[in-house]
Amino acid sequence: MATVAVPPALSSARDSISAWIKNRVRSKRGPMTPPFELEYRHIFVLPTKFGWGFGVMLVFMALGGLNFNNNMALILVFLLGTIAQLTTLIAYRNLSELTIDTIHSEPVFCGEDAHFRVFVSNLDQRQRFAIQAGFKQTQDCKDFKLNSCESFLLNRSTHKRGWLDMPSFRLETRFPLGLFKAWSWIFPQTRCLVYPAPARQAPPLPNTGHGQTGRAVKGDGDEVHGLRKYQAGDSLQRVAWRASARHDELYSMEMETPREDACELDWYLLKGSDTETRLSILTAWVIAADHKQLSYSLKLPGTHIPTGIGTAHRSRCLEALALYLL
Amino acid sequence: MKKVKTAMLDQRGILWVVTALFISMLPQLASMPAHLVPITLLPIVWRLLAEFRKWKPMPMILRISATVLAVTALVGTYGGLMGRRAAVSMLVLMLSLKLLETFRIRDARVVTSLSLFLCGTQFLFSQGVPMIIYIIACLLSSLIAFMYLQRTEAYAPLGKAPDTDRNLFTELGFGAGLVALALPIGLAFFLLFPRWGSPLWGLPEDALDARSGLSDSMSPGSIQGLFMDDSPAFRAQFEGGMPGNSELYWRGPVFWSFDGTSWETSYLSRNLVAETKPDHEKALFRYEVQMEPTEQRWLFALDYPALVPPRTKLTVDYQLLARRPITSLHEYVMASDPGFIDSPRLGQTLRRAALELPEGFNPRTAEMMSDWRAEASSDSAIVQRALQFFNGQQFRYTLNPPLLTQHTVDEFVFDTQAGFCEHYASAFTVMMRMAGIPARVVTGYQGGFYNNLGAYVLVRQSDAHAWSEVWIRGSGWTRIDPTAAVAPERVEQGAVESLDQRRFMLDFQWLRSARNTFDLFQRGWNNWVVNFGSDRQSRLFSIFGWDVLGPAKLVIMMIVIILVISSIIFLLAPVLLKFRSSKKPDPLGKLWKKFIHKLEKAGFVSKPSMAAMELAANASGQLKYKEDVIFRIAQLYTLCRYSRDSGDLAELTDMINGFQPQPRS
Repeated sequence: MATVAVPPALSSARDSISAWIKNRVRSKRGPMTPPFELEYRHIFVLPTKFGWGFGVMLVFMALGGLNFNNNMALILVFLLGTIAQLTTLIAYRNLSELTIDTIHSEPVFCGEDAHFRVFVSNLDQRQRFAIQAGFKQTQDCKDFKLNSCESFLLNRSTHKRGWLDMPSFRLETRFPLGLFKAWSWIFPQTRCLVYPAPARQAPPLPNTGHGQTGRAVKGDGDEVHGLRKYQAGDSLQRVAWRASARHDELYSMEMETPREDACELDWYLLKGSDTETRLSILTAWVIAADHKQLSYSLKLPGTHIPTGIGTAHRSRCLEALALYLL
Repeated sequence: MKKVKTAMLDQRGILWVVTALFISMLPQLASMPAHLVPITLLPIVWRLLAEFRKWKPMPMILRISATVLAVTALVGTYGGLMGRRAAVSMLVLMLSLKLLETFRIRDARVVTSLSLFLCGTQFLFSQGVPMIIYIIACLLSSLIAFMYLQRTEAYAPLGKAPDTDRNLFTELGFGAGLVALALPIGLAFFLLFPRWGSPLWGLPEDALDARSGLSDSMSPGSIQGLFMDDSPAFRAQFEGGMPGNSELYWRGPVFWSFDGTSWETSYLSRNLVAETKPDHEKALFRYEVQMEPTEQRWLFALDYPALVPPRTKLTVDYQLLARRPITSLHEYVMASDPGFIDSPRLGQTLRRAALELPEGFNPRTAEMMSDWRAEASSDSAIVQRALQFFNGQQFRYTLNPPLLTQHTVDEFVFDTQAGFCEHYASAFTVMMRMAGIPARVVTGYQGGFYNNLGAYVLVRQSDAHAWSEVWIRGSGWTRIDPTAAVAPERVEQGAVESLDQRRFMLDFQWLRSARNTFDLFQRGWNNWVVNFGSDRQSRLFSIFGWDVLGPAKLVIMMIVIILVISSIIFLLAPVLLKFRSSKKPDPLGKLWKKFIHKLEKAGFVSKPSMAAMELAANASGQLKYKEDVIFRIAQLYTLCRYSRDSGDLAELTDMINGFQPQPRS
């Protein structure tokens, strides 16, 4: 869209009117619970800026045609007017009966964009074209084939740790001619977890040694832990051929990663900083420890997450940091 | 704050925009002066090359100077911007130049919308049947252009729109579908939308192109030009009898003053109103004329008009002069009485005007006429002698007469002896005046093609004719057609048929008759569409019992009609859309919902996520009643749903209908 200079007073008035309408709609309809099908009463249709301009042109043409009593010009005007009116229905039909199945979002670190993926399905035997989605401005656009599903990716910048409620967004279409837009406000209940932003220059990981020493991790690794009976799927390189030969049975080697010292990430180690700084340093530590595959524990005032390792542990720790005192 | 990405045109978009613009400017290109055509087309070519060669937009200074140059050329050609052709040419030129800076969606939409506006302006010049094809082509190309522009705009945040399985034909089909859907409602608007009886603002004087039939002066060659033009001048439908072809003299401009080469109307004859006119009760011929716009004020009628249409005056020499130039299709009812005697007595002023000749022209003819005068016994004898003179000598009726220089009548009468109707009429009238007989030149149309199917007479521009009238004591002004003395077939068969030669390469007899028959459609189109005005509409409204509407009522009526038609569309919309939704009916799903509903009534809480068997397990665990029935129903439902052949829908229906989730109390 071209940027057209709108006087600030006018644009703020327009914004406040649209905010008021949005609130009315929200209070009437309530938040959306998927699956949510767009129905007649959910969809609004209004002319676009181009539609208004086109309408003004048609009025001038009609005036000219009436004045000169020029009937072919009038026929042209009436046809164009009716086509324009028909496109309101087409735009509406393009949007109606789309179903929002679910909205999905992964946690992000503060400062990154939160990604909301909106899964929408078209259960109808009709194609849909150029369905746009966005919070304020269009961010994603999709066509729907017959009986198909698509997902829209909506991004939102994050400024604060904690839960980020997904703002209301629009599904909109200006199909086919761009004269009218049909849109629907969606009030999702989805939220995105925003972890604290990791500190850029965090102190090195504290190797306090206070933490329980981590157990060696079985699985892939460099050192042999022991032997066990061969199971289908074990790599042939892991087969202990000598032992197998002795016992007339296949044995494979069990490997392990040598244990390292676990570290204890402790809130009270970081004295003299404010809460957010402490949280972001702790976040950076969690990321670093996870990256090095160290086992670690996290201690916050009122919360203690025992030593652990792996994705689930990391998420648990980060969530605790994100939601600390919220 | 992220800056909004400006939506740019893609290649297909610009191609369609250019197509829409080009189609809508075609009729204008055809009627522009030839040297303006390349100027108009050049920006389009540049824009297309820019698209395919990836040129950058022109710098502003270049665009401005191109615009200034083009506008200068246009103004120089038309001598200003007044007049419709010049104004529309300006619009075409501006649109074409606008392409130079059309790289964004917004500009492309402006160009395409204005192409439609341009299409509307073209109907000021012609509303003929071929324009139906033009209107459809304009509509389709613009609609498709709009569609591409919309698609590009919608996908602008992502870069490029993905390809669809739509091709040119599906797009054309979609456009045609839109037009076809809009047609009935558009026609309802057309019929019902109230019209103004009189225009809001004045019509420009030069509404049409120069090509406009007879003009207010006659010089050698002026009618000859019309002779090449086969476009219709007017159509007349007779009520009752009609005169024979040789009596079909449609009276137009009457000329009194001669300056040696050309004839002009006189101030007197334009401004004096006829004192008497035939009694229309006794008029022999009654007919209705549908006249094509001419830009001139003359209406045409057979001698002598007994009716005066509204806003028209009947002059002393029986010309019908409208108050304003005829700029649109014009209809009037007319009656004619050929037996009427025009001016039994001729006043001194008019007599003097009808005898006036410029000094020093045509001495040889003047000498001959004074000889005749001396030998003749009466005015009629001189008239007869002159006709015999034309008939007896080697006079030829030809389309390509030799050029006449100073003494036009002398050269024509004694030297070249070859000419067209205007030469004969002019020479004859001059000869009569020299002999002292009041005479004047009348121009108009002679003959016409009788269309059997439509039972009307079609008069074309090529039927233009000129003849003389002389004033004879006792019989008043009498029509004398000297051309008929030379070439009687001109009057019997018509100007085009009486010539041996073809007027132009494609001038064939069969083509002309095909065109004469085709004119029937044009007439129907004129009757039903082009000429549908406030009067016809009030006739239509009067069927419903609505009277003639005043301006206030008219406005109210317009608003009401727009509201009614719009609300019909919008009220019908949900219904129509429901019907058109192609969701398949799902009796099984309904049945299952009914079952769940029954369970819920008994206190069971279901979740949408539960599968059939899971739901049965939960329900039977919770309700602890008729567990076997619940399981059986779930099982049957699963079978019906997922294995089409093995499920028994009838049994399931019975079981669910008969299911009672609670013991009867």
